Amino acid sequence: MLNIFIRRVMLSIPILLGVTVIIFLLMTVLPGDPATALVGEDATPASIARVRADLGLDDPLPVRYVNWLGDTLSGDLGYSPYRRRDVTDLITQAWTNTAILAGFSALFGLVGGVALGFVAGIKRGKAADKVISVFSLTGLSIPSFFLAIVMLIIFSAKLGWLPSSGTGLDDGTFFQHLIMPMVAGSLTTLAITTRVTRAAIIETYGADFVQTLRAKGLGNTEIFRHVFKNAISPVLTTSGLQVGYLLGGAVLIETIFRWPGMGMLVFNAISSRDLLVVQGATLVIALTFVLINLVVDLVQATIDPRLRRVVA
Amino acid sequence: MTTITTATPLGNDLPLLTVEDHRAAWAAQDVGVDAKSFWAETTRRFLRNRMGVFALAVLLLLVAAAVFAPLLTSYDPLVGNAQDRLKGVFSDGHIFGTDEQGRDMFARILYGGRLSLLAAFVPTVVATVVGTLIGTWAGFVRGVVGNGLMRAMDMLYAFPAILLAIAVGASLGPGLKNTIIAVSIVFIPPVARVAESAARTVSMQEYMEAARLSGANRWTLLRTQLLPNVLNQIIVYSSGLVGVSMIIAASLSFLGLGSQPPAPEWGYMLNAMRGSIYVAPLVVVIPGIFIFVVSVAFNMASDALRESMDSRSGG
Repeated sequence: MLNIFIRRVMLSIPILLGVTVIIFLLMTVLPGDPATALVGEDATPASIARVRADLGLDDPLPVRYVNWLGDTLSGDLGYSPYRRRDVTDLITQAWTNTAILAGFSALFGLVGGVALGFVAGIKRGKAADKVISVFSLTGLSIPSFFLAIVMLIIFSAKLGWLPSSGTGLDDGTFFQHLIMPMVAGSLTTLAITTRVTRAAIIETYGADFVQTLRAKGLGNTEIFRHVFKNAISPVLTTSGLQVGYLLGGAVLIETIFRWPGMGMLVFNAISSRDLLVVQGATLVIALTFVLINLVVDLVQATIDPRLRRVVA
Repeated sequence: MTTITTATPLGNDLPLLTVEDHRAAWAAQDVGVDAKSFWAETTRRFLRNRMGVFALAVLLLLVAAAVFAPLLTSYDPLVGNAQDRLKGVFSDGHIFGTDEQGRDMFARILYGGRLSLLAAFVPTVVATVVGTLIGTWAGFVRGVVGNGLMRAMDMLYAFPAILLAIAVGASLGPGLKNTIIAVSIVFIPPVARVAESAARTVSMQEYMEAARLSGANRWTLLRTQLLPNVLNQIIVYSSGLVGVSMIIAASLSFLGLGSQPPAPEWGYMLNAMRGSIYVAPLVVVIPGIFIFVVSVAFNMASDALRESMDSRSGG
């Protein structure tokens, strides 16, 4: 078992390195010269050249990558001339807010999705199943930013029930502020989890072992317990990906609701061409995503012995 | 060609076929799967699926509306009248109202459909072709090359889809073309994964072994045995991507990375009018409704297609 853990952790190292390479390459082709951004458009060519040399922008690409990776690993993501702050500071601050929103959204989407999926799977073909299926298809197709705007119109502009921006962490109105971004951001997660759970339940109820259990005379509750343990595995598999959706979708949701997290940081950095902030924030989100998937894999290997061979 | 005959216990002399005979048989015969009857059967099932047909009809209608936009409206989607800013829906001459610059929303939705539908389709097609090539090849050759390809895909997979699209879009710069490239790049790894796992399974089937033994070379194997058998799974998977593509492309436009003003694109329109939710809320949601309808329709059509292709589903 420990062996499997170590192997799986080792396997994610090349992926983590690959992520850093991709981000580094993406950001080096970004139009705009960081040196010019730092000293201003009207600086003399000589001073721009000096800053370029200081920043190491004239070094060959592999050298720049290794230097950048070294700095990154020591926690130094650079300085944002636009915000006049260290990127690491900006990210640390934003990260907490995103983690709070993503955490609540994941809880809402995953727990809600599993519950709905179970009801739909057990009541297959009945009215409840049809209603839930229509609901999940709708949730899958509705863009989160559209739902966010509709919610803003109804609950803020028309009814005035919920605040339209901010976190409310400092004045005790956190939950009023949380509801809209949480629901709008996690509806896709809710819909996908519902569909996956429903499919897993139906598939598992059709498995031979359920026949055997029935033949042995087990009651419905007992059988359900067995089905649950078997059906939850594919749901767990997707849950890691779902957290990814939430973290990625945060860029839209946080921007609309002015939630001061990583997403809003990325959005503002894109519009102000703040290269290092985009790079740092994308890196942190991607690394989190890889680590979450690693944890999900390990949890799965722990609870589902069938997967140990696959993982190893 | 030499034919060796062997005496069998029953006494009748059977010719023993040589490798050349098998090769000749391969060359002469159309060894592909009988694809026509499979697709005919799928079409028949699809046409009997009311939800699928309805979704397809809605999509065709919207495509037609976008293509024939100049025939359906006399308004210019790019030029507005400052006096007519933010008129409500069903106001005089503007059934969808007007936007914050006094441009007719109906005209902008019609013309915008051209860009938005393009941004939904093109990345899916590009990613399907490229992903199929990469994945099928990786699953077929396996070994170092196959593993290398798939590990490279895994690295792109390590990003949440929207975030990768945003990162690629941000580095390429704004514009519809770059959005399409960004979404295509995001979709290649998942398609390649589906293709690879399908190709792996098919490679282990007995008919592949049989074809190999009877002298089919690599290329023939890929073309006649592997591709036809992995394509169904890939098509079903890819059809589900169109709706997602629509949403990701619209998200990029929403963030200002997609098509640039004044071009009407649904995601961009939704963002541009965000500030007007207090004045003309119904007009603001119109572009969103269209994004939503197209995305639902693609998902419904995709579900129907999956069911029609599954021979177990009956019907």
